[in-house]
Amino acid sequence: MASQHSRLLEAIMDRMIPAVGDLPSAGQMGLIDEIVELAAKQKRFEDLFHSAITAFESKNPDFLTSSESVQDENLKTFELNTPEHFNTIRTIVYIVYYKDSRVHKRIGWDGQPPQPQGYEMDPWDESVLENARKREPFWRKV
Amino acid sequence: MTSNHGSKDMTVDVLIIGAGASGAAAAASLSEAGFKVKCLEQGFWQDPSKYASASADYDFEMLTNWSVDPNKRQLDEDYPINIDNSPVTPVMFNGVGGSTILWTAHTPRFHPSDFRVKTLDGVADDWPLTYEDIEDYYDRNDEVMGCSGINGDPANPPRKPRQMPPLPIGSDGIRLINAFEKLDWHWWPSDNYINSEPYGEGRDACNFCGHVHMGCFKRAKASTDLTYWPLALNNGAVIETGARVRRVTTNSSGIATGADYVDAKGVERHQPARSVVMAANGIGTARLLLLSKSDSHPDGLANSSGLVGKNLMFHPFAMITGVFPEKMKTWQGPLSNFAMSQEFYETDESRGFVRGYTYQFQRSLGPGWVANGGFTNAIPWGDSHHEELEKRLGSMMAIAVIGDDLPELHNSVELDPDLTDSDGVPAPRINYTLSQNSRDLLDHGIKNATKVFETAGATDIYVDPLMRQSGWHLMGTARMGEDSSNSVVDKWGQAHDVDNLFIIDGSVFVTGAAVNPTPTIQALALRTADYIIANRTDLRG
Repeated sequence: MASQHSRLLEAIMDRMIPAVGDLPSAGQMGLIDEIVELAAKQKRFEDLFHSAITAFESKNPDFLTSSESVQDENLKTFELNTPEHFNTIRTIVYIVYYKDSRVHKRIGWDGQPPQPQGYEMDPWDESVLENARKREPFWRKV
Repeated sequence: MTSNHGSKDMTVDVLIIGAGASGAAAAASLSEAGFKVKCLEQGFWQDPSKYASASADYDFEMLTNWSVDPNKRQLDEDYPINIDNSPVTPVMFNGVGGSTILWTAHTPRFHPSDFRVKTLDGVADDWPLTYEDIEDYYDRNDEVMGCSGINGDPANPPRKPRQMPPLPIGSDGIRLINAFEKLDWHWWPSDNYINSEPYGEGRDACNFCGHVHMGCFKRAKASTDLTYWPLALNNGAVIETGARVRRVTTNSSGIATGADYVDAKGVERHQPARSVVMAANGIGTARLLLLSKSDSHPDGLANSSGLVGKNLMFHPFAMITGVFPEKMKTWQGPLSNFAMSQEFYETDESRGFVRGYTYQFQRSLGPGWVANGGFTNAIPWGDSHHEELEKRLGSMMAIAVIGDDLPELHNSVELDPDLTDSDGVPAPRINYTLSQNSRDLLDHGIKNATKVFETAGATDIYVDPLMRQSGWHLMGTARMGEDSSNSVVDKWGQAHDVDNLFIIDGSVFVTGAAVNPTPTIQALALRTADYIIANRTDLRG
């Protein structure tokens, strides 16, 4: 990704996910390379992503030097007028942010993929059916 | 798993097109009876140990390479679908196992009334068969696929015991169940083809990872690559993968003679056969029949009625999401369908619509999925982002309304004049509008599901009145019936126009009912196979 686009994406991320607790805003967490690598895992998505960044840049040439309130307005307008482009950027920003171990630590998420460990649940307990079993059959006979 | 590859030029007794839910079931039965069976499948075998639920990038994979939407997945073996004229996106998987690879494996049965909607409610048509006609086939299918569930549901006829007890309900599920009971509304643990304990060859119990819709790493979810296909291959059936069918071929008498296809290396081939069984789903089968025009079948194969591709049914879905004040680890357990309610399943004309719907109980997943909305809108960006994520993660559940879909001629599959798959075969175009009956039915379901969430103590409730990516159930495009002028196949799945052509997927459905269709599809496929075995010895070489 061109350095200008990297800076632009960092600025977008800063407005999307602000600092919280000990964590800086998302654009300051060094996630750009991972976003680019992840997007490249599918050609369709990668094309959408780069066209979205390009579209945002062309519509908001002064975004990097604008105030935060203007940046927010720019993003809202982009979201409203070009939802597919906006959603593409937001989707991958959210995915990469929420797979980061620093974020996991803050929100108390174990950070493992769903498999192979899976999770544990209390076993099936038939007593939950005590009330449901009292009902008479009501399926429609033909 | 290796598949047997016989000579590509040998005439087979039965050529099955599509290796999914129905094709696998028919292949196992027919091959056991000694028929020489070959299946052409455009996709490939899957290795469960490589499913994306074990990848750190599972949230990304779910939306891209492992999306349920072929237009987003865009693998070479997928075909694109023009959905410009449909508010519902069809979803499917192309590979050995078909859409059972990515399905949620919810396996309710039709009700007896579903086969008699014309007689009972004066709409659509009756099926040319009854619940009792396929009940034994439902049971046979349960044995092979493995059903977890429990007897005693007052909303459904009594039936044989399931193979396994239900999946656990969980503390989140209890919360919804308590609300249904406060409202004095029916609920029952769902039937699922997901192992609650080890069942079947090499198939473990579910470990509640939640990502049932991304292929099952533990082989706990039944997909036909793990259930029927090993039986069929052991009987001598053959699958050729990466084989994209261009058309079913016919002779000058209009009888099916096999299929033209492109093999995995891109070589054009012909597979001769004494009979052809279509098992390519309610879109794929219609597409291929329309592609198989000939002098004998100028409007497409088996289409003298003009109904091939017509009457497409999806099941309209609405989704109601509730956020609770408590943390309940709602990412633990299968995402979908751990319990259901059929309180509003049967017709009550005082509601202002005919037929009804099922409520399916849903959970949610991890932070990436929740942030991007899950079953509702993405959480906001900006100042409220962190607070909203904290509110929803582990606290969000949903109720799906799955409504009976009645056939309408204008809802259809046709061939797109421009769009093609990676082999240049014309792609399907979907035309679908939601009927007023379906809209009224969904609105009723939304209103009552909202009441459930309010009763359960949800603090925020979100409504998606018609889910876009919900076209799992592809039905009706080659309907069955007694009259050849208003149906494509007879009650055995045999084409009226071509006596050695059979259709066994959801295309043959007359109506859609208000439940997931796969057990009914597979039961009908087994029944068609039995018919062929008993009555079509002429098809054996």
